[in-house]
Amino acid sequence: MYGGGNTFEHIKSNGLENEDPEKLVEFEARIQRGEKIEPNDWMPQLYRKQLIRMIEQHAHSEIVGALPEGTWITRAPGFKRKLALMAKVQDEVGHAQLLYSAAETLGKSREQMIDDLINGKSKYSNIFNYPAFTWADSCFISWLVDAGAIVNQLANARGSYGPYCRALERICAEESFHLKYGHHCVIHMATGTEKQREMMQAAINRWWPPMMHFFGPSDKISVHSEILMRWKVKMGSNDDMRNQFLDMYVPKIQELGFTIPDKNLKKNEETGRWDYTEPDWEEFKRVINGDGPCNKERLAVRRTAEERGRWVRKALLTPKTEYVAPLA
Amino acid sequence: MESLDPRVNRLNLSTAELTSKAPLDQLGTYEVFSQLREGKPYFHVGPVHAPNKEMAFLFAKEQFSRRQTCTGLFVVETRKIMVSPFTEGEDTVYNYIEDNVEGDGSEVKTYELFHLKKRGKQHEHIGTIECTHLEEGLSMVKPEFINDKPVFNIWIIETSDIEFSQEEDKIIWNTLPDKKFREALAYKAADKIKEFKERQL
Repeated sequence: MYGGGNTFEHIKSNGLENEDPEKLVEFEARIQRGEKIEPNDWMPQLYRKQLIRMIEQHAHSEIVGALPEGTWITRAPGFKRKLALMAKVQDEVGHAQLLYSAAETLGKSREQMIDDLINGKSKYSNIFNYPAFTWADSCFISWLVDAGAIVNQLANARGSYGPYCRALERICAEESFHLKYGHHCVIHMATGTEKQREMMQAAINRWWPPMMHFFGPSDKISVHSEILMRWKVKMGSNDDMRNQFLDMYVPKIQELGFTIPDKNLKKNEETGRWDYTEPDWEEFKRVINGDGPCNKERLAVRRTAEERGRWVRKALLTPKTEYVAPLA
Repeated sequence: MESLDPRVNRLNLSTAELTSKAPLDQLGTYEVFSQLREGKPYFHVGPVHAPNKEMAFLFAKEQFSRRQTCTGLFVVETRKIMVSPFTEGEDTVYNYIEDNVEGDGSEVKTYELFHLKKRGKQHEHIGTIECTHLEEGLSMVKPEFINDKPVFNIWIIETSDIEFSQEEDKIIWNTLPDKKFREALAYKAADKIKEFKERQL
């Protein structure tokens, strides 16, 4: 689930003046023809750099995303929910493995990526810096955060980098149960007691602002690079993805009798797009830069896992094997 | 730091400033091939990192055969895979393989042959070659593939370098079909929504 590559930093210089113009033409023609780029193909530095950043952020999001949901495994209501949630969280961690592998084919080692996560250099999906107070929060994440991630992932699966697309295909296949499971959990809450409905509504109210942030800054303030679109690194603008999510899920939330905490949210019949209160981008920036309710805890949990598991990895190390980048 | 999760609180996390982790302690890289159904070819599915073949096999089983059907796995260290150059369009790799290369009289070894038949897809296991050296082996199979659809890349692996799943390993995939809670079909709820809507009227 989870990622989407929407926490890109701005491109200051594209550095294309240093690239071989003939190879660049060939590279762009290949993408135009709808062919995938593979690890052994020539690619511009900017393409490599942006893909590493995007796939790595996606992988970190899977790892960190497993934390707010994982916390509810021990307290899941009933055996069936516990089994399903455990399987889901295990899937997410597996997705991180697939994504790290895809990024490794571009030349950044897995250890370096994990290091950059725990030293705070790499970003991950901002939404996981918020806490899951009740079981209903975990239901919101399983259904709607996954739904948002699937919107992004289906778009990215049509991108140009072969190993990333293949990882996403595998991931999307596994996700189909996550979304249905999440919806099932929310429906159960919606059709339950008054207390359960209140819990679910409170979770929706809490998570709506980070959910709107999830797709990244508005196109008005985040100029999406034309070149990354042309190279099929980024497959849709942040606002397009947000709009697609609202189209698919606002009706499903409302049919369960829940409200969405934004009085300006409505479909604009003229433009065919959703109007909404502009999300608080200052908060988004503040949280993504480290000052959110759970940033410290998330990274501390990761770092502690790394430190306390080190003796196991040390015991396993053997001089007979050697780290190399995966082939494809 | 006070967490909502009691388990996290019990960890006594250090709240020190962010620091880098200890220097690289990377495990080796292995490539994994899986077979979805009996009689179907094995396909490359991706890599795992592990200290040895046996651990690589365990990780591969978890990573690549936990959710999909599986009837067999191959695991091999990445650096043991010999990779041909890549070709494009209608150009098959076999155009670059020499004809009629003789054996060199040394011991006959067995190799597993893999083809990449479509750009963007993954390598497929084609079969086993017995030869004294690789050039001889490729030259032996060239007539079989030179007039076929183009092959864009070849991987060759010495059979003894591969960890194969054994007949008795298949038991690990026996429970896959029982785990219905991992399938979307287990979460039908249309009736519940309908009933809920009717109650609201």
